[in-house]
Amino acid sequence: MLRTMFWRKTRAAIAGFHPLHQTLIWEHTLSATMPKTEWAALLASLARHDALVRRRKWRLPARTESVLVPLIRVLCEDVGRGMVGITADLRGHGVPGKTGPRQALPAVRPVRRAEQWWVTDAWLSARSELRDGSVLTLAVTDVVRYRHIVKVNPRGKRKSKTKTKGVQRIQTSRSLAKGQTPVRPGSPPPWWIQVKVRPGGKTVIRAAAKVPLPADRDQLGVIMTAATEPFRWTQRRRAA
Amino acid sequence: MDAEEAGRVTPCMVSTGFFVLGRCGRAPVAACGRCGRPICDRHAGPGGVCPECAAAQGYSSPYDPLWTSGFRRHHYYSSSTTYSDPGWYGSFDDYDRGAFDPEDQGDFGDFGDGDDRDFVDS
Repeated sequence: MLRTMFWRKTRAAIAGFHPLHQTLIWEHTLSATMPKTEWAALLASLARHDALVRRRKWRLPARTESVLVPLIRVLCEDVGRGMVGITADLRGHGVPGKTGPRQALPAVRPVRRAEQWWVTDAWLSARSELRDGSVLTLAVTDVVRYRHIVKVNPRGKRKSKTKTKGVQRIQTSRSLAKGQTPVRPGSPPPWWIQVKVRPGGKTVIRAAAKVPLPADRDQLGVIMTAATEPFRWTQRRRAA
Repeated sequence: MDAEEAGRVTPCMVSTGFFVLGRCGRAPVAACGRCGRPICDRHAGPGGVCPECAAAQGYSSPYDPLWTSGFRRHHYYSSSTTYSDPGWYGSFDDYDRGAFDPEDQGDFGDFGDGDDRDFVDS
């Protein structure tokens, strides 16, 4: 009862949002495969969020505007009548299920206890059926190493410290349309992007990148740079 | 407009797509007020300019449908440098690049050699 007494107008506004927008607010996740017209409806709903929802608790995750919305826009540009599928888990690294088992590390005095664990956060994946007949897939995974150290000095004072080191793995692949032949680009990709081409009836070009965990503002650029590589392998021509 | 005349009309020349580039190709309704290329009703932005010229005029939010044009140009320019592949950015045509040409960002006049009268003690 008490719960519904406050923020009634905001709750009513949220109830009018797109169902996926509501999931993003309540659960910080999104998973859908839809045509671009449906994605456009979701983006229109997301655009109204800041004007109608002022409560900090219900604001959208930071990566919504910096990564998710631009990515939807980009993927929908290239899709014809096909579908765009996106799964995003924007809950962050600290939620249960993403943390691996803790391992004890050898400790030398004054260190009393040292342990490390890994967090694997596969927070973004996408699949898009492009208008040239090819299929683009994209997966982004953050891998963060945590190290926790407890020290005790000669007077018995305890100090603890946790350090993190993160990398991000970006895997993209483009499955070309049947009969479309790849052409090796004139210059190799940067050293941090590895490319594999699997020839066949449907050639698959895979590009994998491993980078230090980027800041939010740089995130989209890194993903898009890795996603560019499979498109350099086909001749570029436009319908005039 | 008869069928023969419709065949002669240059279609909407706005670039579409992000990685898979193409032309809109729909029937034009006007010419861009800045670069002059024919644009259809779907691509006529505020002020009667094409999406590239609208994007070049200032920052737009990703929630804006025309945002992709500006971001596409930015991405092609930066990734062309990252990949050391001038041909990648070269796949853009003059219309795609022209709106963002720094030499075309407005005439600020000739400042001349200047003299001491231009400065004021504060």
